[in-house]
Amino acid sequence: MVSKEEIERVAKLMRIEIDDHVVHVDRVQKMIEYFDILDKAGIETQELIVQEQKIENLREDKFIPYEDKLIDKLKNYKGTYIKAPKMV
Amino acid sequence: MSLAISAIKYVNEIKNGNLTAEEFISKTFERIKKIDDNLHAYLSLNDNAIEQARQIDKRIKAKENVGVCLGMPISIKDNICVKETKTTCGSKVLENFVAPYDATVITKLKAEDAIIIGKTNLDEFAMGLTTEFSAYGPSKNPWNAEYVPGGSSGGSAVSVSAQECIASLGSDTGGSVRNPASFCSIVGFKPTYGLVSRFGLISYSNSIEQIGPMTRTVEDNAFLLNIISGLDPNDNTTIDNKNVDYLSNIDAGVEGKKIGIISEMTKGIDKDVSSATNDAVSQFEKLGAKIDEISLEMVEYSVASYYTITATEAGSNLARYDNLRYGFDFDLEGYEFNSYITKARKNFGPEVTRRMILGGFVPSAGHAGKYFLKALKVKNKLTTEINEVFKKVDLLIAPTVPILPFKLGEKVDDPVALFLVDINTVTANLTGKPSISVPFQITNGLPIGIQILGKPMEDKLVLQAAHALEKTTNLPEVPI
Amino acid sequence: MTKIGLEIHCQLTKLESKLFCPCKADYRGFEPNTNICPICVGLPGSLPRLNQKALEKAALISLALKCNIPGKISFFRKNYFYPDLPKNYQITQFDAYGPTSMGNNGIINIEGKEIRIRRIQLEEDPGRLIYEGSSEKTQITLVDYNRAGTPLVEIVTEPDFESPKQVRVFLNILVDLLENLGVSDPVLEGAIRADGNVSIKGGNKVEIKNVSSFHDLEKAVHFEITRQQSLADRNIPIELETRQWDDRRKITVSARSKEEEQDYRYFLEGDIPWVILDPKYVQNLQKEMPESISSKKDRYIKQYQIPMQVAEVLSSDKYYSDLFEQSYNDKNAKEIANIITTDLMGFVDTKEKRVQSKLSSRHLSELAAAIISNKITRNSAKTALQEIVQTGKSLSEIISELDLGQVFDESAILGVIDEVINEEVNAVNEIKEKPETVNFLVGKVMKKTKGKADPSITLQLLKSKLGI
Repeated sequence: MVSKEEIERVAKLMRIEIDDHVVHVDRVQKMIEYFDILDKAGIETQELIVQEQKIENLREDKFIPYEDKLIDKLKNYKGTYIKAPKMV
Repeated sequence: MSLAISAIKYVNEIKNGNLTAEEFISKTFERIKKIDDNLHAYLSLNDNAIEQARQIDKRIKAKENVGVCLGMPISIKDNICVKETKTTCGSKVLENFVAPYDATVITKLKAEDAIIIGKTNLDEFAMGLTTEFSAYGPSKNPWNAEYVPGGSSGGSAVSVSAQECIASLGSDTGGSVRNPASFCSIVGFKPTYGLVSRFGLISYSNSIEQIGPMTRTVEDNAFLLNIISGLDPNDNTTIDNKNVDYLSNIDAGVEGKKIGIISEMTKGIDKDVSSATNDAVSQFEKLGAKIDEISLEMVEYSVASYYTITATEAGSNLARYDNLRYGFDFDLEGYEFNSYITKARKNFGPEVTRRMILGGFVPSAGHAGKYFLKALKVKNKLTTEINEVFKKVDLLIAPTVPILPFKLGEKVDDPVALFLVDINTVTANLTGKPSISVPFQITNGLPIGIQILGKPMEDKLVLQAAHALEKTTNLPEVPI
Repeated sequence: MTKIGLEIHCQLTKLESKLFCPCKADYRGFEPNTNICPICVGLPGSLPRLNQKALEKAALISLALKCNIPGKISFFRKNYFYPDLPKNYQITQFDAYGPTSMGNNGIINIEGKEIRIRRIQLEEDPGRLIYEGSSEKTQITLVDYNRAGTPLVEIVTEPDFESPKQVRVFLNILVDLLENLGVSDPVLEGAIRADGNVSIKGGNKVEIKNVSSFHDLEKAVHFEITRQQSLADRNIPIELETRQWDDRRKITVSARSKEEEQDYRYFLEGDIPWVILDPKYVQNLQKEMPESISSKKDRYIKQYQIPMQVAEVLSSDKYYSDLFEQSYNDKNAKEIANIITTDLMGFVDTKEKRVQSKLSSRHLSELAAAIISNKITRNSAKTALQEIVQTGKSLSEIISELDLGQVFDESAILGVIDEVINEEVNAVNEIKEKPETVNFLVGKVMKKTKGKADPSITLQLLKSKLGI
């Protein structure tokens, strides 16, 4: 059973505010409880199966300037920077 | 002139001069105008579509080289970037995001002169099974507007099923193409992982999702797959399919093929779905295939594994939505960094909010061993298991969804019940296998689809089997 | 017992493009946010495209530091929120599932002490934050993503350093090594950065961040050792924490507890399939690796009898060793080494001067030949060298233009000597008590002959003339 405090701590880490505590906390707890089923899966030693690629497949080291003036299409400050809130 | 024609038929009609692109696009817009206020398949429409159609007609008349789509209207799920078009992912957080580039699949479609007619509704950031989690309101099932169309590519499924376009592209992370295809009685295909480029698909769970065609016929699906598949330098996870033609020999049939029916996906399901599945099995037997029951033990844990892995990846993939570089209007005056982005992210809907919390929890330092790492092991074991099974059979089948479509509002409050709607579809995503849903039956006015899975890169065989099954059906037209 | 460890971040400035996109790797000189694309700015739907050469450069670093390179490497996501991080995660490497980063368990020798290298990893640099406005109230944070995605190699050492001085020696050696390897240009501002960690008497390890130069790092480490020792003396426990270097007050201060709160939720980067590093590929790299500095130094000393100090300077500076390699032959090696390390140094002491220099290897060989054959004096050679660096003209042109031909003629020199003796009466009178004054007189002769008189002949003649 995961505690409310734990859920609040994680939410903060994810920059998620849960003011409607009961509803979200309750449902998240239910979801996490469901995941307990993983304990029964009998998977002690499982090889990691991964996708692989050859080094020849990788991108050539070449400078190609991006064709558009991308900053114009983003939220920009004086046409050049991205503005961020005050860093404390 | 019927809007219900297939892509293949459309192409023929255009080539024969019986139809112009402009006519078809105009009629499509009329249809959308008539029914979409109710069905809500579309979030936005392409105002230039008719003009684009005119241009294509001109080029056809002048006998210039025109792409194979010849101006057919295709709808696109709104989590795929179309240049200079709003791409919202069904979220308030991307309310004003205009994509500055085309996804690779869009580039390919445009190169073949398809017309992107509009962006379709989805559960927010593709997290959901019914479109009820869209920030812009749910879509409705054209077979019965009180019922969900499935999700997350619900809008796409509705647009194809209700003849508001020829075909659509959706995305499938845990069943999001196949599930709504099944609920709306259309064909929905999730190709082998890596067959179709994800460049321009706004990530939800990048290690398992794929873009997939949603069409009215299996042939149409192969037709579209030919266009959108292939190695892409913009996506390192794409694989070389050696330019195989998915449409040729599509009627090869299933004579002599060994097909396994996944027992874990047929037990404890809705009785109508069960009976439809049995019918499908008989049809395959009549077509000359050999059917055997097989077992995939890990299916029981697949949903928990799926939601753990996807929550982790989603938690990371959605971290970029802090509203600093793009997003929606929200002045940062008076805020400091953490409080601003927390406030901005309050615009995530409730389901995404919950997944973000889950996604912070299951891979976190104190819990990763119990949840995330175990989920990965289940994924690996399931993959090993299914690979073993595929040494004995060529294809696997199961019903796409264990239940019939349900009413809007019915499951939206029960998270685990909602999870379990996915139980038949997540296996294909977790193991990277190609899987298609073929419309098979209408029971009490509600559609049931049958799912066919294949070995990796054997998408052609899956399409052939799907086509064979499709030919045995004679389904009514959508009642709208 | 003091233990110091380092984390060095080296930008692969010698690459053409960024780690995951084709924007320029060296972002310096661009207007803000003009060296960006959907990938490095983390636009929705963008995917990383790994740079093949970045892997190669990182592998070279691993080899040079004698690390093991695994057969397959992978990338991970390090998740945290910060405005300079466009995706709010950094694609980096991490050793879960066994060693999967570019190198591990290496070693580097610094003047007899061995420093173990724990790990080498490839990762992307974040963007840069700029603060506008003078007062706290009007301060706006501005972000420039030109640097976001620049390829970085992180080198992590074991805490094997025992003193700040060792840290400094190590950093100097490492910087030369990285430059020599052709992976990075240390002269570029911010190209090589370092953080440290300090513990004493087996106690808690304290991380030091926010150090902008190696000089400051040495100071910061020194301060931290002192701080910890004084706490220990008073039996106050040393906290496990991260501290920032306060450049103004020259002290370390406790960083916000945000560091403790961090849980990076590392997991595999699914957008980049694992890259197979064939043993053959690694062997080839080893073969084609540029010669190491220590190997060059040994070669210069043994094969060309170049004095150790000269060999040291020559080998540790890539610009010099490249020039040397291109211009030397068996006969003039020593002379060329000498020209480079004594005369040339003054004329190319900045990056601009090096870039603008018109000196070629042919110039150097001609110059060396002219000195060896006594065609011009060393002094004249220096003048000629300066002219060559600035104009690139041939030696013969410069010799005639500036009239630098050696003045052999003893009678001519004697004539000048007589002039000087007549003019410098005081010096001549001092000669008996202070024989070293003769050098002053030699200098005067050199001046009058514009450096064209042979200094040793001049000295001989002066001495005999003055009877000393």
